[in-house]
Amino acid sequence: MKLKSKLLALGASALLAFATPAFAEDWAPDGPLTIQIGFGAGGSTDTMGRVLAKVMKDNTGWNVIVENKPGGGGVAMFTGLSQRPATGNVVGMGVSIPVLVQLVNRGDQLPFDLESFDYLGTVAKAELALVASKDAPFDDLEGMVTYAKEQGTLPVATMAPPQVLIMNQTKAATGAEFNLVTADGGAEVMKLILGGQVLAGFGSGEQFPYLESGDMKVIAGANQTRLSFAPDVKTFIESGVNAYVDPVFFLAMKAGTDPEATKAIASAIDAAITAPEFVEIVQNAVKGAPVNMGAEGTKKMMVDGLANAKVLFAK
Amino acid sequence: MNISADRASGVFFLLFGLAMYFAVNPNYIEAVESGNIAPRTLPDTVSIIIAICGAVLVIKPTDQRVRNPVLMAKTGFYIVLLSVGIYAMSWFGFEYVAPLLAFAIMWFIGERRPFWLGLGVVGMPLLIWYLVTQLLGRALP
Amino acid sequence: MVDFSIILAGFSDAFTLFNLAFVLFGVVLGQFVGAVPGIGPIMAMAIAIPFTFGLDPLPAIAFLVGVNKGGLVGGAVPAVLMNTPGTPDAAATALDGNPLARQGKPLKATKMALFSSVTGDTFSDIVLITVSAPLAVLALKMGPIEVVALMIFAFSILAGLIGNSLTKGIIAAMLGLLVASVGQDPENYTPRLIFGYWDLFDGLPLPSVAIGMLAISEILHRLSEAHGNVRAAVSTEDTGNPDDKRVSWAEYWSCRYVMLRGATIGTILGALPGIGSTAAAFMSYAMTKAASKDPASFGKGNIQGIAASESANSAVVGANLIPLLTLGIPGSVGAALIISAFMIHGMQPGPLLFENQGRLVYGLFGAMLMANFVNLWVGQLGLRLWVKVVSAPESIIFSSALLLCFVGVAMATSGLFGVAIMLIFAVLGYLMASFGYSLVIFIIAFFLGPRFEKSIAQSLALTNGDLTQIFRSPVAVMLLLLSVASVVFFLRSNAQSEAR
Repeated sequence: MKLKSKLLALGASALLAFATPAFAEDWAPDGPLTIQIGFGAGGSTDTMGRVLAKVMKDNTGWNVIVENKPGGGGVAMFTGLSQRPATGNVVGMGVSIPVLVQLVNRGDQLPFDLESFDYLGTVAKAELALVASKDAPFDDLEGMVTYAKEQGTLPVATMAPPQVLIMNQTKAATGAEFNLVTADGGAEVMKLILGGQVLAGFGSGEQFPYLESGDMKVIAGANQTRLSFAPDVKTFIESGVNAYVDPVFFLAMKAGTDPEATKAIASAIDAAITAPEFVEIVQNAVKGAPVNMGAEGTKKMMVDGLANAKVLFAK
Repeated sequence: MNISADRASGVFFLLFGLAMYFAVNPNYIEAVESGNIAPRTLPDTVSIIIAICGAVLVIKPTDQRVRNPVLMAKTGFYIVLLSVGIYAMSWFGFEYVAPLLAFAIMWFIGERRPFWLGLGVVGMPLLIWYLVTQLLGRALP
Repeated sequence: MVDFSIILAGFSDAFTLFNLAFVLFGVVLGQFVGAVPGIGPIMAMAIAIPFTFGLDPLPAIAFLVGVNKGGLVGGAVPAVLMNTPGTPDAAATALDGNPLARQGKPLKATKMALFSSVTGDTFSDIVLITVSAPLAVLALKMGPIEVVALMIFAFSILAGLIGNSLTKGIIAAMLGLLVASVGQDPENYTPRLIFGYWDLFDGLPLPSVAIGMLAISEILHRLSEAHGNVRAAVSTEDTGNPDDKRVSWAEYWSCRYVMLRGATIGTILGALPGIGSTAAAFMSYAMTKAASKDPASFGKGNIQGIAASESANSAVVGANLIPLLTLGIPGSVGAALIISAFMIHGMQPGPLLFENQGRLVYGLFGAMLMANFVNLWVGQLGLRLWVKVVSAPESIIFSSALLLCFVGVAMATSGLFGVAIMLIFAVLGYLMASFGYSLVIFIIAFFLGPRFEKSIAQSLALTNGDLTQIFRSPVAVMLLLLSVASVVFFLRSNAQSEAR
């Protein structure tokens, strides 16, 4: 009996997606609503995006589907989004800092700027940590710099341009040399650290299982304030390197989308991020609570962030 | 009148490799100051090797024969047909173009039996429509 | 060490009718969409994930594993029957599978593919279940330098597939690398050779290139040969000999070393993230051909060719879970999608997974073994159906296959832009085949290209640009020596076969 009812439920949920009319909203997407994620499958953005889509689908009855568009820390996806017509059925989900840094450093070459998008809201803040293997002969950034100077140079894995810039600032501020190895994502950074090919690397959540198992330790926080999961560890700023990132997971659509559509989607997102299953996934992914700054707040965050990035990361 | 297929493709790749190295790569790849491998390194190396191999092929061709030109012309016709189909889909959508495209392909192959024509022109597009929009919940192109 | 009772508990969790139903459902779905040209197993998994949200973790993951494994078996079907591989890893299977099918033995060819696929898969599953932890530690030691050496070795094995002209083989490989460099460069993320088409910023879409080159170009070729009296797409003339419809035990057993080698190659490459099943299938094929006493029979319907390719590409999938389960590192897009499913169901793959969720992991292993049996069983029935389907007239098969590829590629690449690219690569593939350039070498170079360049960049960073440090890594040195040996071996045997 249980089997049958579960199978029925599966079938029904598959059918419901197409049959249920949208309720509580005047607007509904024409066909499926696609959330394009600016990172590959299996990462924290991907997981949050998929659950967000699911909760939105349950709440609104819209057919919300998820696609991965990795590359350049989300820049590839937002580039593609900016080139689409404003049809109101594609939403982009990405992280603020990689986009802002690319706009600062090669804004003239990118086919979009902050005005190319209508902002819908944010999902969570991310904490970026520099981590190392538990066997590394240093415990904090000063120790790492000293060790790098002793050794002549030290290999560090990065996964997005802002992290390269932070390490370059560290070089400039301390005179230490680092070999920067570019990895394809947090998982590859963890592999390089565990394999001993690099001594340290950046993680935005991928490090949690290794911290828990004791295979890794946190060397420095790369946010403006200390990391919530490692409050004793100093930030780059506290260690004398004037650089930080405050990445925020946010959602946006092509500018010029029907205001009815952006309003309906923004409120669907807002409703979804308070759902218990979404709160749980955010807790797992970033060790924090969901944060929605709202449409206006997201735009302000991006505009202020760009001004800030210009100061911190301009070449 | 004995131009071997290899000489022809060799000349093409010689010119192609040189064009990539001297004209395309410098204009369509950015130069950067930092990093371990310049964006141009790989495409440039590869272009040069293609040009060299093209030259070798011109000097030392194998006995490669070209496919029957009539068949290649026929293929060219189908390529044009498919291009028109894709272009039409971008204007009118898959639902309207797919049956026509299927009909054209089947007709030119030589299919005249009403049953199979009906199945290919009406049945398949309908099945695809059902599969994609109803079962999988995706949009047709 | 995991407590034995946890292992037992896990397996007993798995072997329930409820889970069997989901495995069965997944395998049927996977075999079906895997066999439909233009969709393939990755697409099937991406679509299936949302349906697992409402399920408990074990049936959800069992379902996805079923889709993945079924898709692999299904992928070989169009490759063998029509010479139009829906996924590039089945391209090696087509080399001998299609000639055999054309000899009026489509069932024998597809069954051999099914049996060797399940064999390779089961082999790598057993390796995963028994020795994944030490293997994963070994895989970790393969840093960027060793990966570069491994890729050079993979390229050197390709020399065995070059055929009559080394020069043309090199051109095909270089074209593949050139096409792979379209998109972002690996270090600075600058746009490269995109000619203003920002859709190309994350590279030429893989499905467009692979399906265009391998499937559509073949369909174009067949369309031009079609004429007034419409034939069946595959001749299923009854040869009258019942042996042509089945694979005898003697035939299966004669491939045991071939499958063992294929499964070993697949397992090793699967445990190392980023190389992939296509390279594994072709490496296994080339090595089998090289080791054979009768290399001239390959490409003409030798069942050993089918066994080599299918055992290797299927072994990759189970082995992809080795780094995933033990370290939390996905080895392929399919494995990354499984990670997503894990995380959505509240499990964090990584070093503590076995400790925290041991029972669930062993439940997953049980489900995988179950999926292998189901795959074999469903496959037996499914293949008959597919052989019937492709005995329809070629007019309807080709037109339907084209429409399906259009829709599949449009779904996978979000739009008609990807379909247009597919057609461009179909034309390129047709021309290359017409002038005697190997499509297979092109495709493998295209697939390995981005990882190759990235690993070189990483190696340069690690060694301060001093590549002589490669010689400090014994593994890399060994792989490079093997590469030299294999190039010499293959070139010599090529020269010999030409002299004959």
